[in-house]
Amino acid sequence: MKYYLSLVLTIVSINTALAQIDYDVAKIPENLKKDAVVVIRNEESFFDVKGLGEAKMDYKVAITILNKAGEEYGEMAEVYDKFSSIYNIRATLYDAAGKKVKDYKSSDIKDQSLISDFSIFEDNRLKLLKFVSITYPYTIEYSYSQDYKGLLSFPSWHDIKGFGVSVEKSAHTIQKAKNYKMRYITSSNLQTDSVINGEKVQYKWKSANVAAVAEEPLSTGIDNISAWVKASPNQFEYDGSTGNFDNWKNFGSWLFTLNQGGNKLPEATKLMVQNLIKDAKTPKEKIRILYNHLQQNTRYVSVQLGIGGFRPILAEKVAQVNYGDCKALSNYMKALLNEAGIASNLIVIGNDMPSLNPNYSSMGQANHMILCVPLAKDTTFLECTSQYKPMGFIGYSNSDRNVLMVTEDGGKIVHTPAYNAKENYQIRRTKITLAEDGTASSEIKSTYGNAQFEENFSMTLMEPVDLRKKIIEDSPIPVAELISYKYAQPDKTLPVLTEEINFKTNPLLTKGGDKLFLVVNQVNRRESVPLKVEGRKTYFAVPFSYNDDDEINYILPKGYNVEFIPKDIVINSEFGSYTAKFSIKDNMIVYSRIQTMNNKKYPPEKYGEYVDFYKKIYQADKQKAVLAKTL
Amino acid sequence: MQKNALKFLTLMLCIGVSTAYAQTAQPIKREFKFGKIAPTEFEVKASGQDSSASAIKLFDVGNCYFEYNSTGGFIYVFERHIRYKILNKNAYDLANYHVELYRSSNSAKEDLSFMDAATYNMVDGKMVTSKLNKDAKFTEEFNKNFVIKKFALPNVKEGSIIEFKYKIRSDFTFTLRGWEFQSNIPTLWSEYNVRIPDYFVYKNNMSGYYQIEHPVHETVTASYIPGLSSNAVYDKYCAANVPALKEEPYVTTMADYTPKIEFELRGTQFPGELYKDFNGSWPKIIQGLAEDENFGGFINKNSYSKSVLPGILKGEKDTLAAVKLIVNYVKNNLKWNKEYSKYANETNPKSIFEKKTGSSADINLALLSLLKEAKIDAYPVLISTRENGEHPGYPVVSAFNNVIGVTQIGNNLYFLDATDKDLPAGMLDYENLSHQGFYMDLKSFNGKWLSTEPSVSSEKIFVYNMTLDKDRKLTGKINQYSKGYSALNLRNKYRKTNNETEFVKNLKKDKTGLEVSNYKIDNLDNLDELLTETMDAVIEDNVEEAGNLVYFTPLLFERTKENLFKLEQRKFPVDFAYPFKESYRITVNFPDDYEIDKLPKGGIYKLPENNGTFSINYVTEGKTLMVKSTINVSKSLYTPEEYFDLKELFKAVVEKQAEQIVFKKKV
Repeated sequence: MKYYLSLVLTIVSINTALAQIDYDVAKIPENLKKDAVVVIRNEESFFDVKGLGEAKMDYKVAITILNKAGEEYGEMAEVYDKFSSIYNIRATLYDAAGKKVKDYKSSDIKDQSLISDFSIFEDNRLKLLKFVSITYPYTIEYSYSQDYKGLLSFPSWHDIKGFGVSVEKSAHTIQKAKNYKMRYITSSNLQTDSVINGEKVQYKWKSANVAAVAEEPLSTGIDNISAWVKASPNQFEYDGSTGNFDNWKNFGSWLFTLNQGGNKLPEATKLMVQNLIKDAKTPKEKIRILYNHLQQNTRYVSVQLGIGGFRPILAEKVAQVNYGDCKALSNYMKALLNEAGIASNLIVIGNDMPSLNPNYSSMGQANHMILCVPLAKDTTFLECTSQYKPMGFIGYSNSDRNVLMVTEDGGKIVHTPAYNAKENYQIRRTKITLAEDGTASSEIKSTYGNAQFEENFSMTLMEPVDLRKKIIEDSPIPVAELISYKYAQPDKTLPVLTEEINFKTNPLLTKGGDKLFLVVNQVNRRESVPLKVEGRKTYFAVPFSYNDDDEINYILPKGYNVEFIPKDIVINSEFGSYTAKFSIKDNMIVYSRIQTMNNKKYPPEKYGEYVDFYKKIYQADKQKAVLAKTL
Repeated sequence: MQKNALKFLTLMLCIGVSTAYAQTAQPIKREFKFGKIAPTEFEVKASGQDSSASAIKLFDVGNCYFEYNSTGGFIYVFERHIRYKILNKNAYDLANYHVELYRSSNSAKEDLSFMDAATYNMVDGKMVTSKLNKDAKFTEEFNKNFVIKKFALPNVKEGSIIEFKYKIRSDFTFTLRGWEFQSNIPTLWSEYNVRIPDYFVYKNNMSGYYQIEHPVHETVTASYIPGLSSNAVYDKYCAANVPALKEEPYVTTMADYTPKIEFELRGTQFPGELYKDFNGSWPKIIQGLAEDENFGGFINKNSYSKSVLPGILKGEKDTLAAVKLIVNYVKNNLKWNKEYSKYANETNPKSIFEKKTGSSADINLALLSLLKEAKIDAYPVLISTRENGEHPGYPVVSAFNNVIGVTQIGNNLYFLDATDKDLPAGMLDYENLSHQGFYMDLKSFNGKWLSTEPSVSSEKIFVYNMTLDKDRKLTGKINQYSKGYSALNLRNKYRKTNNETEFVKNLKKDKTGLEVSNYKIDNLDNLDELLTETMDAVIEDNVEEAGNLVYFTPLLFERTKENLFKLEQRKFPVDFAYPFKESYRITVNFPDDYEIDKLPKGGIYKLPENNGTFSINYVTEGKTLMVKSTINVSKSLYTPEEYFDLKELFKAVVEKQAEQIVFKKKV
């Protein structure tokens, strides 16, 4: 992920002065050990909102690591930046019997920078401590305080933090002044206790005795099996800026204000824009020309410092250096369009994240910015950080989700275009000419659309030496000699990629007695079936919807006779559909296969059917024809 | 040691050729000025095998020289001037440059004392310069030892030329910054100029699979200390038109194949002082380590050993048994922090045992300390791990990054490494399998290279005993046996899994049709015994039917489906780290009314000189079928020339193991 809008805050929070708890592992109830790699013995976070831009968090946690598989939980890794400091760190290690082994010293705690892969610079840092125990199980305990100067969001809380985690006790408290306004959402059935304490109000949530769930494949997450709270301020103060998050409209207003005046262009750039579009007739053409200019002349460079994590760099500045992050480049594109007389809006979006929750506005639901150009008939969305995407194609990780459009009237929730299965296609036509010795020459022609275009596009950027290697390595049919290959994007304005590969194969016919066997699907086989899960607990989803359409013609050598070909297969389910057809024409075997998958979220109880569906496809894909020599 | 021989030859070749060159030709001198771009540089295009390169390194020029100041003494200065032509968008990241600087816990440090950078574009036939902006410079305080300076150049497009010129001043003169002459994009010109004052003598190490020229080696006058006239030795190393370096699988580290030069201090000779030998010879290096408080001094501290040893040995007299007891004690009391080091972090094993954790040196030197106290002769062995790259072979201490132990019992050498609980005495982990290690006697200061080629064979044996029924279901038992590295890997995997249910789940992954019950693993903690897995199995979906034929691939899930070696070319040796063997045996009882018409042909396939074999054979007896298949890769290292034989061997494996057993049903 190379995008950046805001940190997705996942800091967890606490209460001071805990009574010493007995960490004897023998006292953990059996049901909490089942399927668990770690047990959260006790977690307490206390978040005290002291003002619009000021808060303090006290955090304390004790975790028992049951075995080596849980070792990643045996550390403290807490994030801070120049608007929040961490202090009062205490850390202790206990053995299986709950006896204290050692107290860690402050010199044991490492301090290091924490910069995302996609960024050149950010101001996040990390306090890191790895606990060490030679034997399992063991218990770690640590606590700290964190002061915030500037508040865009509140820490969230989850009782279980992943698969294999059980919870003995966990609690989260937010304290605020009576007249301070905030919002929160919780998991269903979680009780919120509110306590008035003089001028203060405390909201309390807690959870106890929650068993672990073993890792489940294709899971969409543990939100439906955990207790959680997400909370956000209404009014806030951060790095010299104030605003209101009580609804998406106000959220959008804040961003709009933040960006005010950032849309000016230098005279030279204005002139350039006018020059570029002087022959363009329609708005669409102008957009295309300017988007192309952006792609040819800018590059993605991410720097995130304080409010700069939310405010785009001035368009004037981008015009000067021709680089920026998603915000800077989207805003620059907006300025170019503006000069061409075309209005556009910045879009705040969760790239590869769930849709924005229309009923709960908060920081942390988005991580990216794109641009929306509303036209009379169709609205165009522009991904401004890509140097390659065709105009209007925003890619799978931006598509089909609720996003926030920033307008002068505030924010509006809109939905990005969806690419359905038929649009994410792979059409493949293969001709395989078999020789007497079982080897073959193979010609494969494929066309990839939308999401599948995206998946394969990098092939067009590779150097020949590397590309040859990759084709040979990835080929479903074993390559003996690669003869030729070609990748092309016939029309730069469309997300369509074509591929042609010609090669000689290693033997495709396998021997068995005096028969020869041919796996009829040589190019697009399902090689395994997802593992069964008894009593699945979490939802699951197909990563994306797609349509694969394959046809293979096998030309048989003289003197070979087809003794057996499989029967046609049709499989239908709510997950998708599959057909495979086998026929003989002259001395050809003709095979066709179409698989269409829908990407939807499915409830846990459907998983068994999903496994069955794939098991049938797996069986269908390995069907063999039997050949014999006639002489 | 073929690889070393080969590389040594390359090295000798380089030196030989360049010496000859220096005698016959004029030194190569090319001048590059910052900001002065020749119009022809905009015309440069990629060609040949790099025809689609994303960028070209037009030149990369380095200077390394010394300065003296009265307060800090000698420091060295490293200058680099690098210019790229950007050919396409894939190379945009080159415009984000970073420089790493080190600082030690005392005041010694490195500074970036100068940085200039710019982008040049041809606009309407005129060159437009964009300088590095002030707000495009960043300092990342990575941790207490490293600072990273970062720079982002403006206005980079396809066709741009970008350049960086900078200077680092460094207090760390023991090793000087080296130079790499090849990278993942083609390089037109790369040179490194090193001027070393007479006061210092450095060893240099040239390595890699591409020839570096050495056209200049001369004495020049150079003044350092005011009022003292002095000389320096000036060396120039260079390479022209170097193609891009492409990665290959099954190598130690690509750095082993990159042409480069490295420097380590041998000695100093200051005016009016005696020559001070730092690391001029192996005995000198060994002496240095023997006297180092984080090495020899550490081993010699015996207060901890004395207190615990009687409790560990409990009077054990047998040496091998005693060694194992001590190794186990260390394994059970110290946990490796996943860091390799050749120096202990503390000066006394006691503090390591208190912390219960440490680097490889903390652990293995503590082990040596205990063995010493037990009067067992054991010695440190310096290692350069696979990832660290191959050691040049001659006395250079900085090229090592790890230490293990060795002891001789009877005629057998046992390598000792207590960083991994599942590593039996005598076996080294994968990273340490760099073919050789340097053994040292800290008393006599003698040392020598020892081969670290594994003596324990690494083997996996699969035994299937199955009955085929008329529903095409196979039912029976599977036994799996693991030895050597197969056992080590399996033990590691088992320990990292939450419980046996999860482990069995993972075992079934990618084995569609397999159901397992009564899984049992034996000898998990008996490292010297055969690691044995047994299970009852039901296999569906693997025996197929076509008309009156019933057929299946007898290798079932253990069939090698793809050739490990698919690529057309191989430049570098194939380095597996250890030899390995995989055997498979299946017995199938099939129904009375099934008949086997014709069995596939068995056979044996061999690499020249028996450096690898594959065999498969088929036997039937009544209604029982037996198939055996064995793959034996008997060397850890194969030369690029042997690559094609390996590829052919595995091609035979894939083809033969795919062959079907066909039953005819009696009608």
